[in-house]
Amino acid sequence: MSWFSFSWQNFWFSYLALAFEGLPFVLVGALVSGAIAAFVPSRTITRFLPKNHLLANLVSGLLGLIFPVCECGIVPVVRRLLDKGLPFSCGITYMLASPIVNPLVIISTYAAFRGQAPEWNTAIRLLSGYFVAVLVGLSVIKINPARVLRTGSGRAALRKRSVLSIATLPEAAPDNPRATFIQRLIAAIQLASEDFIDTAIYFMIGAAVAAVFNTAVDQKVILPLANNVFLSTTSMMGFSAILTLCSTSDAFIAATFVSFPIVARMAFLVFGPMFDLKLFFLYSVLFRKRFVVLLGVGLFLLIGIISAVILPQVYAFVGG
Amino acid sequence: MRLLVAKVLNGITLLGLGGVLISFCLKGRIDQYLHPQFRSWVLIGGIAFCVAGTIYLMAKKSMDCCVDGECVHTNRQNPWRAAAAFGLIVLPLTAGTYLSKDGYDKQAVLNRGFVQDVSKLPGRNTIGSANAQQGIPPGALGADQDERASAEPPLPQNSSSGGPPKALAKASDPPQTNGNADDGSEQYLPRAADGNVALEVTDLLYGENEESLRKEFTGKTIEVVGQYLPGSKPNEFKIVRMLIVCCAADARPIAVSVQAQKEVSAADMSWVKVIGTAEFQESGGGKAKVTFKAAEIEPTDPPQDAMLY
Repeated sequence: MSWFSFSWQNFWFSYLALAFEGLPFVLVGALVSGAIAAFVPSRTITRFLPKNHLLANLVSGLLGLIFPVCECGIVPVVRRLLDKGLPFSCGITYMLASPIVNPLVIISTYAAFRGQAPEWNTAIRLLSGYFVAVLVGLSVIKINPARVLRTGSGRAALRKRSVLSIATLPEAAPDNPRATFIQRLIAAIQLASEDFIDTAIYFMIGAAVAAVFNTAVDQKVILPLANNVFLSTTSMMGFSAILTLCSTSDAFIAATFVSFPIVARMAFLVFGPMFDLKLFFLYSVLFRKRFVVLLGVGLFLLIGIISAVILPQVYAFVGG
Repeated sequence: MRLLVAKVLNGITLLGLGGVLISFCLKGRIDQYLHPQFRSWVLIGGIAFCVAGTIYLMAKKSMDCCVDGECVHTNRQNPWRAAAAFGLIVLPLTAGTYLSKDGYDKQAVLNRGFVQDVSKLPGRNTIGSANAQQGIPPGALGADQDERASAEPPLPQNSSSGGPPKALAKASDPPQTNGNADDGSEQYLPRAADGNVALEVTDLLYGENEESLRKEFTGKTIEVVGQYLPGSKPNEFKIVRMLIVCCAADARPIAVSVQAQKEVSAADMSWVKVIGTAEFQESGGGKAKVTFKAAEIEPTDPPQDAMLY
């Protein structure tokens, strides 16, 4: 029997199932993002930060709980916050943590891992993401932002990358006292609609790839890969980088890779929201290429080590 | 003009997406794709997409949405990107609506491989919780009130529609059983209309790990409904069910081997009702391997929920 046997019947069934399960969650994420954009002034975020660097980083990693912005919308938010004086390290921490440490991702991860110890898997994903984000944030405290931020970052940089769609906190909407509630609501829905469409494109591509993988590939072929913690972890991280899924819905994809050990799937869920193909381009809007590459390599190594070395111990401890 | 075209395309994308989702819900097809807990979200999502799409199309002017008024939502301005979004989101879903057969074929089952140890399935670490979701009423195995409330009734085991079933194979001498006498199990073992014990494939597989269940099942005339998958010999086959946790994409095939007394002929993955007895061969460590000895095999309609949860 061939290792690959594609069938349209199987593809459509798996693809539609993934779409039906994940799209409502993508919509919820987009609606929240739109509501924040229309109703919350951006300076509100900086009010929460303490003066102390360490504490500020620890708090920055949790900002996503109050201001949930997924990875598609986080870059312009961070750029905006940096412009307003947010410490660089805090910006990095918030940028990496927010796509994971936010209520929508908590809900979707819990739902996706239903029947697979959802409380533990959700908690471990959150803590791993938070830990990695804070660690990376602290590691760049000494870096001079001018060396890694693109010169003229902001409008010029965004224009150069106008092929990418980015949701941001608007200046006009929340800060305009003359805007009525209805105007803000309509703006929120418009923004949410556009954010949804931008995100759903990637989600549908990811769902198609996952559907082919899950139905056409003989799972016995990948068992050697899946049975090795190192290989399965690195391959799942590579997979997450290619699939470029939204963090609000990636758990639904990850949960279906049942042949892979949970630590590999957790690497998928932590690495993907922090660095993937889409984010490589998005980060390039804000940072110099060299920094983006180093960030990607660093995250790959850090999350790989955590997933392959520490998480098995954690799962053994919690009985997973 | 470009802005208008892009706006219309985006609005149609949202409305089309909502239409597909609502259509699947109203036709009941969504039941084949998702766990019951997720189904209502699809309907709510479909309505929300339609509302958002309508507002998006009707709103005259949007507020400046991006940094300093420089909008980087390029698909709003770029009709090509909006067309690409329409092509990647709505067209595949619409095509799937017409092309999907709402189920897997034999190849997907073989590619995924059968679950070898049913006790290791997600969420099925205990026999009590497992059977709470299957045919055996949870009260029989000490399930709590919440489990009872969520337990589903036994699947319909008759083939009422389409007239009387035509037997695919029938033994000349049905296996001798000690009947389904009232030995206490009458209280909790689910029964089909003809009095046979109506079990799921999962119930039989749990019997492999649980001696008390084996005692309950042994000697009774049992009915099992599943999908037919041919075996290596003409009189051997498997009855397969797909077990899902969230959606059909994570479905795992589970199967019980069946031995008929003569050659069986049925289409791959067609639904059959098998009546017979379960035989458990001890394999050590308190476990056993189940083989279902079929006395009668009939084609049947798919159950309302084709997937097990």
